Amino acid sequence: MKSKIPTYLQESEAFQPDIQGMRRSRFSFLDKTIMNSARTVKAVYLQAENATKDNFIHHIHPKVKFISLIYIAVIISLVSNLTAQLLITAFIMLLFLLAQLNIIQVYRKIFFLAFIFGFLVVLPASVNLISPGKIILNLITFNRPYNFWIYHIPQNIGFTHEGLQVVCMMFLRVLNSISFAMFIVFTTSFPAFIKSFKLIGVPDTFLMVISLAYKYIFILSRTIEETYLALKSRLTGNVKNSNLRKIISGRIFFIFKRSISSYENTYYAMVSRGYTGNVKLGLSAAFTAKDFIALVVIIVFGLGILLI
Amino acid sequence: MEEIISLKNITYSYFGKIPALKNINLSVNKGEIFSIIGHNGSGKSTLLSIINALIHPDSGEVLFKGKAITENSLRDKNFAIQLRQSMGFIFQNPDIQLFCPTVFDELMFAPLQLNIPYEAAVQRVEETLSYLSIGHLKERPPYMLSGGEKKRVAIASVLTMNPEILLVDEPLSGLDPKTQTFFIELLIELNRAGKTIIFTTHHLDLIDHLQPTVAVLSEGHTIRKTGSATEILSDEEFLISVNLIHEHIHKHGEEVHKHNHLHYVFHKH
Repeated sequence: MKSKIPTYLQESEAFQPDIQGMRRSRFSFLDKTIMNSARTVKAVYLQAENATKDNFIHHIHPKVKFISLIYIAVIISLVSNLTAQLLITAFIMLLFLLAQLNIIQVYRKIFFLAFIFGFLVVLPASVNLISPGKIILNLITFNRPYNFWIYHIPQNIGFTHEGLQVVCMMFLRVLNSISFAMFIVFTTSFPAFIKSFKLIGVPDTFLMVISLAYKYIFILSRTIEETYLALKSRLTGNVKNSNLRKIISGRIFFIFKRSISSYENTYYAMVSRGYTGNVKLGLSAAFTAKDFIALVVIIVFGLGILLI
Repeated sequence: MEEIISLKNITYSYFGKIPALKNINLSVNKGEIFSIIGHNGSGKSTLLSIINALIHPDSGEVLFKGKAITENSLRDKNFAIQLRQSMGFIFQNPDIQLFCPTVFDELMFAPLQLNIPYEAAVQRVEETLSYLSIGHLKERPPYMLSGGEKKRVAIASVLTMNPEILLVDEPLSGLDPKTQTFFIELLIELNRAGKTIIFTTHHLDLIDHLQPTVAVLSEGHTIRKTGSATEILSDEEFLISVNLIHEHIHKHGEEVHKHNHLHYVFHKH
């Protein structure tokens, strides 16, 4: 039988080094894209896995959790007592422990966010330039106070007792808000939580759009990951930046086209199953005694905190 | 037998330029298994979309139980609901078909849109989950399932409509052998239960398994031949002419030789 295979395919490929020398390949942007996409996919998986644990906290009705989230957020913003804020912190930690979540891993994320948005951002408020009061730690001393336009710079600049209280309060408020929101995210399945938005009158069609967008992020992340892995497997040596830009823009267009096609076909699938413009979503399960107890505990706790 | 679907002189092109179907005529009877076969790009999936009234032909007529399906007739909401309820479309790619947040919601979607009472819909969903052995997936998001699981959920999401006609695009696409067998047996069982099944494929062994009435689409996007499974499968020359079987190189131990490629029917040496 006569073979039609090209001759070069019947020979082993000789290694041909890069004639420009020993420069290292620079495709770190590809790795970053792949890693970020993989991280998105992993985050979705982790959230879904955490949210479906077999634990009584996880089984509490999503609507109860939704009401609690709004209620606790209001309580956190109303309370201006440091002890009460610390009690809320302890209560949320207790909830994390009861939900059997990896508290160290979760709080590492929470503290990072709270440090940036609740501490660094408000730190300037702790000095007497912004919060006048009794200085407890002097930082700079000038020869005399200065007045510039509407600003007054005192002779001594330092942390004030009142300023530090403001910073602590802000930090605890941010910490408590983030940690309670994280607690809800890690103990509730995303779809169930979205459905509870019905409580505040969000229409079914909008909820469907949120669900579709969430699914789309997941599928898009996987598509990007696959596309860039395929690209990485074929890119060797040094490629000119201009050529890389062309390749990447081509890939972006490809992903865009796939998105359009996916959107059209999903629409057809919806029409095929009876969609006529108004989505009708199912009812969620009824409240059980356990849900009412959970709701009462949260309400009583909130009222107790307000009385401190 | 009662004619349930009839296509008369259907022509369709993409963007008015790329021809997809030319002068298609076919008729499907109630309770029949009907297959549209052809190689890739011959217009099989487009034809299913036209039958399901997802797209409309440039010219020609689609009749459902004698009534024309047009954009105009679908404006009658009752007719649209009757049509959607009567036809379930199982897409080739389940990722497209599954768009709800959980498997349970997916199965509930069609009954709720078709105004089936909530309690009846829930009961139907529970029975279908059990029938297809996917009860354990009930609360899972469909996009996180494996390929075989997605396919089962896609089938279940259509079965909860209790459609009279099942349109199945490439039933065996992307499935492992075990899931393929499950799917074939399911189609036979559903047909025995009275469902009309219209499917597309280029797997001739599936034709041999299901013994449908076959319409063969050619490269020219026309129907070249319609007949029974036996008539089509026994016409080797015809199948070669429409690129459904071809000569290929085959290896037995160290011996390499050529023969016509069709493992189930024409695998002869």
